[in-house]
Amino acid sequence: MTQRHSTRGAWLIAAASLITMIICVYDYYTPETGLIGTGGVVLVAVAGLLMFLASLVMALVPNRSCALQWFLVVSIILDIVGSSVAGYFLESPVIMAAQALALIGWLMNVIGDAADRSVEIDDVED
Amino acid sequence: MSKIRTLALGALGLAAAAAAVTFLPSIKAIAQGGGVVASGDEQTWDAFGGNQQAQKYSTATQITPENVKNLKRAWSIHTGDVSSGARSTTWGATPLFINNTVYVGTPWYRIVAVEPDTGATKWTYATHGHEGPPENQGLKNRGVAYWAASEPQAGQACQKMVYVGTMTGELHGVDADTGKPCTGFGKNGVVDVNAWAPKNSKWKIGLLQPPAVYKDTLIMGWAGNDWVYKTENPGTVYGIDARTGAMKWTFNIIPPDMEDQTGTANVWAGISVDPETGLAFLPTSSPSPNYYGGDRLKEMPYATATVAVKAETGEVVWSRQLVHHDIWDVDINSAPTLVDIQKDGQTIPALIQATKMGFLFVLNRNTGEPVWPIEERPYPASNVPGEVAAKTQPYVPYPEPTIPDHMPPVSKFADIVSFGQCSRWKARIDDQGRYTPPSVRGAISWPATLGGVEWGGGALDPTTNTYVVNSNIVPQIYSLVPRAEADKKYGKAQRDRDGYAAQEGSAYGFKLENFLNMWGMPCWAPPYGTLSSYDMNTGKLNWKKPFGVVQKWGFYMPDSWGSITIGAPAITKSGLIFIGASMDSRVRAIDVKTGNVLWKHIVDSPAVAQPAIYTYKGKQYVVFAVGGNGILTPRLADQLVAFSLPN
Repeated sequence: MTQRHSTRGAWLIAAASLITMIICVYDYYTPETGLIGTGGVVLVAVAGLLMFLASLVMALVPNRSCALQWFLVVSIILDIVGSSVAGYFLESPVIMAAQALALIGWLMNVIGDAADRSVEIDDVED
Repeated sequence: MSKIRTLALGALGLAAAAAAVTFLPSIKAIAQGGGVVASGDEQTWDAFGGNQQAQKYSTATQITPENVKNLKRAWSIHTGDVSSGARSTTWGATPLFINNTVYVGTPWYRIVAVEPDTGATKWTYATHGHEGPPENQGLKNRGVAYWAASEPQAGQACQKMVYVGTMTGELHGVDADTGKPCTGFGKNGVVDVNAWAPKNSKWKIGLLQPPAVYKDTLIMGWAGNDWVYKTENPGTVYGIDARTGAMKWTFNIIPPDMEDQTGTANVWAGISVDPETGLAFLPTSSPSPNYYGGDRLKEMPYATATVAVKAETGEVVWSRQLVHHDIWDVDINSAPTLVDIQKDGQTIPALIQATKMGFLFVLNRNTGEPVWPIEERPYPASNVPGEVAAKTQPYVPYPEPTIPDHMPPVSKFADIVSFGQCSRWKARIDDQGRYTPPSVRGAISWPATLGGVEWGGGALDPTTNTYVVNSNIVPQIYSLVPRAEADKKYGKAQRDRDGYAAQEGSAYGFKLENFLNMWGMPCWAPPYGTLSSYDMNTGKLNWKKPFGVVQKWGFYMPDSWGSITIGAPAITKSGLIFIGASMDSRVRAIDVKTGNVLWKHIVDSPAVAQPAIYTYKGKQYVVFAVGGNGILTPRLADQLVAFSLPN
């Protein structure tokens, strides 16, 4: 059963994941980064792509099931945590900064969604 | 920072695993584990070891611990001489700066001469030595040598020459100003050194290491193709006329009556020379077959030894064997560093011979007598039929060895994530510490053939007698494979991807295994490499720290883990150590007093070489050959990069 969920923060997550992918491509092909040709940046780039797709669903499909909403929220936060730690070990401050941006977007969405739920419950009680 | 990293490493595994459930593809493990000749205002770097004394020391003082953080890339060039796969390149060259030119040899056996301040090419010389099928150790080069006539003839070419060897045993000599072959050197500029070594010839000798130079004599060793045969080319060192290429003398390491039972024990590493006494110091390697000595039980005192010979005649003055009856392939693998020790009010002319065993043999370089006592300690007997391991081995308690007497404990982390694989493996193989003989069921070799100290050796500030040296902490597993079993499993193969080498003609083949778990993580606790500083007047250890960083899949492991290193440091009068060598693609400047890293810079691949330091037109440069080494990582390169302070 679908219901309307918050789309807030989704475009911020999308932007952060795009930044992640761009920096990963740059790192992969640039010797001066020390990460040229490494699997680690490919891993983070794939994570960024998946986060981007998830954020698109979050932004463009407001009417979605609770299960899908939970899947998106959990998946994106795991992606953010994993990519942040990977960014730390890749010694890439840009990747870590992009994850911080994504985290802000994720918080906006989660808090916004909770606020929307709260309003709906209040409406029912009234 | 390091503790945070260590903790965060666990988090990385957890987070990555969690992410795999949702989005990410499955993750396998990510971890594993001065010689300076002053010439006007210029400070040169005219030999593989910085100078012929292998001190790797520069009197330059422009770059200091205070301003090194401002160091920038001055220039960078790519030689184009890099290849992978079956023709994989290994570039450990020290660039030379002399004759107002930077000279470097490449793994395609070319000489590249460039402007010292811009990197612009002056000339190149191609031996075409890389074009045939890979011989011996393949495409591997550690640089070039330089010679200048003491009384140059005006208007004549080749009064200054640069030399490069090839994998097919050719030594090329070219004019240092023009790069043209010196026609008076050998045959049109080429000496076929391989033609001098026909006995038991199984392969062409590899001249990857540039010769040492003393007056008008080149002292030339060579590299062999280890582990494959029982009898191989006997290790012979050649004295060669620097002008004509004529052979002046030979020094045979293998006794003539043993040449049908063994071979090699060659000098494949650098050679140092005392310019005052004319003595050349030869680090010799282990005889063949490297891991089973049952057919070569007779003593060979020049094998795995340091031997002092007269540079102009090859006559032996003294020798000291540093490993008896070597069955571990722990070659003496670096040029001894010469030092004048100030002790009890006296000056002792000495040398420091670092070894794969992690010992620093400090010897009087005129007599070979130890400056500090060397003990003969008992070590385990072999349980292999036919083998008789030496009952005792030289042990150097002081200066403190760079590695402990026993391998580090099994890594709990690596053991847990491999479900106990590491501890189970260790329990079923022999481990009695240093000099545990290879066995059929497998034995820990501690340290293994990777050292200890690798072929770069250490660097010395002769004004303070501070000696710095990088060292590896790497156990490996050596197994002997009975011939019948080897023939059944491997047939006529000389080598196999699983680490097998035939030792053809002997009773046993050999198998080398890295002590890694199923995820490729080292089964022993870090650190994996260190950098140490010693006061060589007293022999006291100043400091020892994990050095370098392991990089796997791009992820940098904690600093406290250190890194396996290949290559060596250089040291400056201003109190800095410059070093690449680490598995991560970074070069570093380190404070001599504290061992702290003051500056680091990413380069194209691990700089598994030793840097050169010079001053040109009033500016100090530090230059690295950045080529990588497949032993460390698959990332190879062809970069020659120089750093200096901004104007």
